[in-house]
Amino acid sequence: MAVFKGFPLNLLFASILLILLLCIQSGGGQKKKENMLAEKVEQMMEWSSRRSVIRMNGDKFRRFVKAPPRNYSVIVMFTALQPQRQCSVCRQANEEYQVLANSWRYSSAFSNKLFFTVVDYDEGADVFQQLNMNSAPTFMHFPAKGKPKRADTFDLQRIGFASEQLAKWIADRTDVQIRVFRPPNYSGTIALALLVSLVGGLLYLRRNNLEFIYNKTGWAMAALCVVFAMTSGQMWNHIRGPPYAHKNPQNGQVSYIHGSSQAQFVAESHIILLLNAAITMGMVLLNEAATSKGDVGKRRIICLVGLGLVVFFFSFLLSIFRSKYHGYPYR
Amino acid sequence: ASVSGFLSLLSFTILFLAWLAGFSSRLFAVIRFESIIHEFDPWFNYRSTHHLSTNGFYEFLNWFDERAWYPLGRIVGGTVYPGLMVTAGLIHYILNLLHVTVHIRDVCVFLAPVFSGLTAVSTFLLTRELWNQGAGLLAACFIAIVPGYISRSVAGSFDNEGIAIFALQFTYYLWVKSVKTGSVFWTIGCCLSYFYMVSAWGGYVFIINLIPLHVFVLLLMQRFSRRLYIAYSTFYIVGLVLSMQIPFVGFQPIRTSEHMAAAGVFALLQAYAFLQYLKDRLTRQEFQTLFFLGVSLAAGVVFLTLTKPSLPPLLRYAKIHIPIIASVSEHQPTTWVSFFFDLHILVCTFPAGLWFCIKNINDERVFVALYAISAVYFAGVMVRLMLTLTPVVCMLSAIAFSSVFEHYLGDDMKRENPIKQHPFYPVKNSSVYSKLIVTMLMLMLLMMFAVHCTWVTSNAYSSPSVVLASYNHDGSRNILDDFREAYYWLRQNTDEHARVMSWWDYGYQIAGMANRTTLVDNNTWNNSHIALVGKAMSSNESAAYEIMKSLDVDYVLIIFGGVIGYSGDDINKFLWMVRIAEGEHPKDIRESDYFTPQGEFRVDKAGSPTLLNCLMYKMSYYRFGEMQLDFRTPPGFDRTRNAEIGNKDIRLKHLEEAFTSEHWLVRIYRVKKQENRQALDHKLRNIAAKQKYTSKKVLPSRFH
Repeated sequence: MAVFKGFPLNLLFASILLILLLCIQSGGGQKKKENMLAEKVEQMMEWSSRRSVIRMNGDKFRRFVKAPPRNYSVIVMFTALQPQRQCSVCRQANEEYQVLANSWRYSSAFSNKLFFTVVDYDEGADVFQQLNMNSAPTFMHFPAKGKPKRADTFDLQRIGFASEQLAKWIADRTDVQIRVFRPPNYSGTIALALLVSLVGGLLYLRRNNLEFIYNKTGWAMAALCVVFAMTSGQMWNHIRGPPYAHKNPQNGQVSYIHGSSQAQFVAESHIILLLNAAITMGMVLLNEAATSKGDVGKRRIICLVGLGLVVFFFSFLLSIFRSKYHGYPYR
Repeated sequence: ASVSGFLSLLSFTILFLAWLAGFSSRLFAVIRFESIIHEFDPWFNYRSTHHLSTNGFYEFLNWFDERAWYPLGRIVGGTVYPGLMVTAGLIHYILNLLHVTVHIRDVCVFLAPVFSGLTAVSTFLLTRELWNQGAGLLAACFIAIVPGYISRSVAGSFDNEGIAIFALQFTYYLWVKSVKTGSVFWTIGCCLSYFYMVSAWGGYVFIINLIPLHVFVLLLMQRFSRRLYIAYSTFYIVGLVLSMQIPFVGFQPIRTSEHMAAAGVFALLQAYAFLQYLKDRLTRQEFQTLFFLGVSLAAGVVFLTLTKPSLPPLLRYAKIHIPIIASVSEHQPTTWVSFFFDLHILVCTFPAGLWFCIKNINDERVFVALYAISAVYFAGVMVRLMLTLTPVVCMLSAIAFSSVFEHYLGDDMKRENPIKQHPFYPVKNSSVYSKLIVTMLMLMLLMMFAVHCTWVTSNAYSSPSVVLASYNHDGSRNILDDFREAYYWLRQNTDEHARVMSWWDYGYQIAGMANRTTLVDNNTWNNSHIALVGKAMSSNESAAYEIMKSLDVDYVLIIFGGVIGYSGDDINKFLWMVRIAEGEHPKDIRESDYFTPQGEFRVDKAGSPTLLNCLMYKMSYYRFGEMQLDFRTPPGFDRTRNAEIGNKDIRLKHLEEAFTSEHWLVRIYRVKKQENRQALDHKLRNIAAKQKYTSKKVLPSRFH
């Protein structure tokens, strides 16, 4: 009976206790949340003070990027940088990303509102699965509030991964303007200085015997090198950056000649360079055979070799051209 | 005497035949179609020439064209190289003076083929100065038919390059001549030719950098002479003054970095000549040489720093992808295929000619070597500059071939010369055979070259692009004359001052053929104006209407190739419009809106809704959904993009279809005028029936 009577009281007490507890807990929770946020921000700041791009594994990613109490935006690059993955695009993208992160890290506007992180596939494969991601590299922005939307994934296919483009995208998503500062590339200047000093040194050492400057063959060779490089389309390679050759993923066949007349491979341009050089050499030999004052038999051999070079390599060149330029009627 | 007379008769005949061959191989387009101006820029040149021939020279120089770039207009006289128009106008004038009444259009059409003959002659002269007469004749034959030059000079392609290559070659010939002789007479001739070149083409910058480079290299090689001093000093001063007479060039020659190398070399030459003078007076030889070395090094550094800014602009030009520059296919680097396509055997043999020139160097061969190297560099950077490479390739190849022929074809020399000099005398029989084989094979190569040139000219470079041709299975030909049909419709059926909006590619043609005001044209000087048109094309209809209203547009003209499968239409160019518009209005137009989430550009149902509702899409496909082209495909099947269009129910609110050409290639829409007044979308005012009078002092805010 006492039990029966005591029950409501007990209930009342328990409920009061519960409410009290809840109040305390929620108050404490608020405080704890703030603490946690401060802790997280502090942690992130510490990491980013050490390295401008924070490396993350699965746990860290879930704790610092996915978990809700956040007041900072995070840019994440999902990538596969391990050499065995053979992702050359990832490496290039990583370089651009580092440039961007460094220019943010060392800019005067640096704050704890934006962090740059990277998740490597080999360190956080679970993250990739969780986000349903099957290609790398991918850049994603995790906003301070809410979930990432469609536009929070950087459109790599279309815009490319130049850090200027990334900066533009970040400015678009987070209102943080980053001025990309590329570390100046001194290698060209150094190479030029080295070359100049080398030439100068050589000239100085051989100052008593400067005959070789007047060597016409050397100059002619240099001029022909420039000409061959240009006529075989090295400038196109330099500007467009085509692959060296194409490997067919199905049967593993390597093709050195691009099928279309609008494009070329690096290997192809080298082949053309050699062919052009061979034809030119043939012409020079033909001339040489007629003008030199040597043994007659030798001269005849030179003449025939020259002729053979011209005719054979020109027909070879023509057949390559034919294979590229569809509908060309002549052999 | 009789031998030399015979030789000159022979070379005259050969040159005449080269001229004739060059002229007639450029006539494919005229024979297949008709005497018509081609492509885009020639239409502007034609229109200005027409203006010149009807209104006179001074009127032309002061011409303010209010029919272009509405509402801005364009000062034509000050923004063109007038050489081409003046040449054509002059020929027309002279012919009419002689009572040979030809239309100005025919003069324009046939100008470039005629000048190609002059180019052949000047190439002959230049090569003769460099090597010998035989090489000159070969070079003239090469340049008459080489596709790299024909591409810019077929009949109907009335463009600056057609006459500029002649001026270029002739200037070089006179320069070489003046360096050889050191006479002021030839130098003044060179300056006049240079003046003609400046008046004709912006490529004169090539001359004003190459000639100083030649002088500089000659100085470095210690080949300084009085002849050089006289030639360059005269050329620089007179050429400078003459070039500044062209309104479009103005003060550029003393301001911009492209011309600074010439000034630097001029100063250097004066200093060098002064030192030479001192050296004659002074005796301290050792000190002098040292001094010379120091000065020439310093000058070299100065020269390099001065020329450096002049070379990279081209590279930068090619590299930076400003949409409007990147959208022009001529500004691309060159693949080896283009080299081979345009030059064939010459591209593989001209290095041999270069080799011979450098091995047997003299003053003028230094020039041709520098010409070859710089031109080949520029041609590698930009397809378009293949044109400047072509002449030097012809000359050097001619040198290579002629030196081979000289040695292997010299059969009759045997009779005149002593036996010893003949290379193959001891084994006479076999040597004759080997000579025969070499000659035959070389001739065969040249024949292949001629056949290749004809084929390329006929297939690749002889399409007017204003008139299209399609071939049936049995080989018969259909002429698609939609462009002219539409332009004449505009000319006949619209108000004289109607303003036509179209993408800039068609600006010159509309002005030339329809004689109507355009908003933008191929002289792309005002990017923001073009971006505005691009924005109108890529916005939805009501937003576009606002823009069109602000620009007073009466008609909109678009090119649509979906019916006949013409790939150069506006939908295929559409992304460039979006990009250019985005560059100026990034808040309103975003390129990514026009792609599917997968990043594809599609016009079918899967395409992005922004694309499916933009003005360009609506105008292109208006009522196209009702049209079934054949039984295998559904209605509204676009043959260019091989897709069934995604938006078949297109209604236009502010535009109405005015004209569609036979094959739907050109569609013209009329922009409707505004209704009398715009409907008010708010309710009528409600007046409160009884309100107490309240003083303004108390509640002044109510009345605001």
